[in-house]
Amino acid sequence: MIGEIRKKRLIEAMLEAGLDGLVLYGNAWQNDYLRYAADFGILEGEGLAVVTRDGDVTLYLDDELEGERAAVECPEVKTVVADDLIGTVSGVIGRLGNSRIAAGPKRHLPYGLAAQRGDLRFEDATALVDRLLMVKSADELNAVRSAARLADEGYAVFRNAAAVGKKDYELIAEIESFFRNEGVDDNFMIIGVGGPEVRGMAPPLGKILKPGDLVTTELTPCVNGYYVQICRTLVIGEPNEAQRKVFGIYNDALEAGLAVVRPGVTAADIARAENDIFRAHGLGEYVTSEYTRVRGHGLGLFPDTKPHILEDVNTVIEEGMSMIVHPNTYNPEIGYFVHGDSLIVRADGPEILTKTPRELFSVGARRIAA
Amino acid sequence: MRHGLILWREDELSLADVTARQVRLQQAIAAAGLDGVLIYTNHVRSAGVTWVSGFTPYWSDGLVLVLRDGLPIFLTALSKRVGEWVKSVAPTFEVAHSPFPGKLAGERLAQLGAKRLGVVELDRMPGGVVDEILSVLPVELSDATELFTAVRGKADRAELDLVRRTDDIAREAFKAGDIKGRLAGDFTGPVERAVRLAGAEECYVAVAPDLSQDRRFIRTGRQELGRTFAVRLSLAYNGVWVRRIETFSAVSEIAARLASVSAELDRVSPAFPANGSISAFRLPYGAELIDWHLEAPHGTRPLKVVADAQTPLAAPVPYGILTTAFTLDGETIVASRPVGLGDSSMREAAE
Repeated sequence: MIGEIRKKRLIEAMLEAGLDGLVLYGNAWQNDYLRYAADFGILEGEGLAVVTRDGDVTLYLDDELEGERAAVECPEVKTVVADDLIGTVSGVIGRLGNSRIAAGPKRHLPYGLAAQRGDLRFEDATALVDRLLMVKSADELNAVRSAARLADEGYAVFRNAAAVGKKDYELIAEIESFFRNEGVDDNFMIIGVGGPEVRGMAPPLGKILKPGDLVTTELTPCVNGYYVQICRTLVIGEPNEAQRKVFGIYNDALEAGLAVVRPGVTAADIARAENDIFRAHGLGEYVTSEYTRVRGHGLGLFPDTKPHILEDVNTVIEEGMSMIVHPNTYNPEIGYFVHGDSLIVRADGPEILTKTPRELFSVGARRIAA
Repeated sequence: MRHGLILWREDELSLADVTARQVRLQQAIAAAGLDGVLIYTNHVRSAGVTWVSGFTPYWSDGLVLVLRDGLPIFLTALSKRVGEWVKSVAPTFEVAHSPFPGKLAGERLAQLGAKRLGVVELDRMPGGVVDEILSVLPVELSDATELFTAVRGKADRAELDLVRRTDDIAREAFKAGDIKGRLAGDFTGPVERAVRLAGAEECYVAVAPDLSQDRRFIRTGRQELGRTFAVRLSLAYNGVWVRRIETFSAVSEIAARLASVSAELDRVSPAFPANGSISAFRLPYGAELIDWHLEAPHGTRPLKVVADAQTPLAAPVPYGILTTAFTLDGETIVASRPVGLGDSSMREAAE
């Protein structure tokens, strides 16, 4: 159903742009373009979707096991398994002759595909598809809301699993097990454990949780292809004064960013609102790229989609976008700290999706891992 | 993404092990008259870079440039903060940062006056990366997949030991599954938990929920389980990928028979050669083969089907995962096991 709606929007956009065909690339890292057209959550290997203006979509995969899965999970899409993915798709495109064909995402499109196209060159489909990915239909937004519920439930599992003596990767095992039971396809998740020495989040390193540690995480479950993120920080034991004070700054920054969100503002406006709070506390240095990447980002069929919330990104925020605002960055007193909520942009402002309370969670230092 | 435990474990894959691989590749580069070889990586196409460095990116992408001599260079758009993590889990290469890693590769090659660069899976290289390289240096690009495959096809002892260890994790994890569960997720959730608690860096679970109806695997946890069902566990541990498929039943007599078949396969499979044949493979007495295929690491792919009933193996592989589907006593059984781990393979790898 949702796949059909996306396909209809895609064809409309193609016709409006005067395109005869689209070639969309994807893998499990950057799957949004492929999934938009073919509604398949690829896991291994690579895929290309060829879309023609009459509404025909064919999914080409290079992995036999994935081809088998696609045939069961999305039987409405024609699937072709081809070890020589580039040669096969080039042949198909070649038969379309001298028509207007666009391809994307530009950076990831396999070199051989463009090389075999030769002088006929692909037009760049990146902007066309990015716009569809950013501004979602009502059905897509409902899927996003479903994922948000699981982000909250997942964070509750995470909090309950945290205990002195537990290893960071054991927390992730609990989360992933919960998500598999709940039918969550995928989860983008990084973690940080410790104090001022922690400058960012990464996959687990085998750190053992101990009293006084900050435990940071971004949790990003994917339901039916749509990702929603929650960022929270918890303390093992009672938070100290510095941790409480810093939490207050990040919470103010998050609320300042959320207060700005509405159609017509830019991504830069949101980032500036967050960063001004840090600057007001003399922490302006810590909102630069030396210490942080983005102040939020779009969410949808990719967990880190456009627009990136940065002071130099002037993308206009529109109704129907979904995103997270997160003033995550390093703090010299207490270490890396994260705090963020996902939202949908509505005409009258943000609809906050994640309902987990905005507080500095504390896990009793007496809670010992079994 | 990868979000299991990612660590440098010197006792399992040492710096000396990785250096020996790098030297073998550098010898092949020189013999081919190339100035270097470029290997792309993201967490999907990780196998080439993982083999040559022990590193797998959890997110984003990068390139490893292996020159005729010296330390390979990992070129990445990841931030310098993440770069510190990269160095902590892979002390096997120099890490260089740029928003445009292809451009940086071009600049490094220009400094050396490089003229001929081999690229593993050139056709699959992201076009943007190739554009970046060529914007800096009009170097001659050639496909280095065959060169890499030939070097990569020889296993080393560390790799085969890791395959065994990874398969052990999978075998133990299956014990956590609830065969009396109603839904696939009732079985797969605890299995995935066990895999991750054992320190795996990634785990994909798929289920053929009712083998009497369909042998194909899907990922949903919401499917009801039939009388016999199969679970496919694909897992990565310290950069090595293994697949293991087991068939289960909640009916106790069938379950006992399946357990016996599984144990028999565990006994015979490791020593079976990963040479793309199945003629001598010992299925349980009375079994009738339906289908088979062999997977192996190939280029940047952690596992790829490299041989089946219609397609012979084209080049040697370091180890394989043999999947068989057969009928026995009226039941359909699907099984996957690593092959090519016998004593002779281990001796050759040690040499």
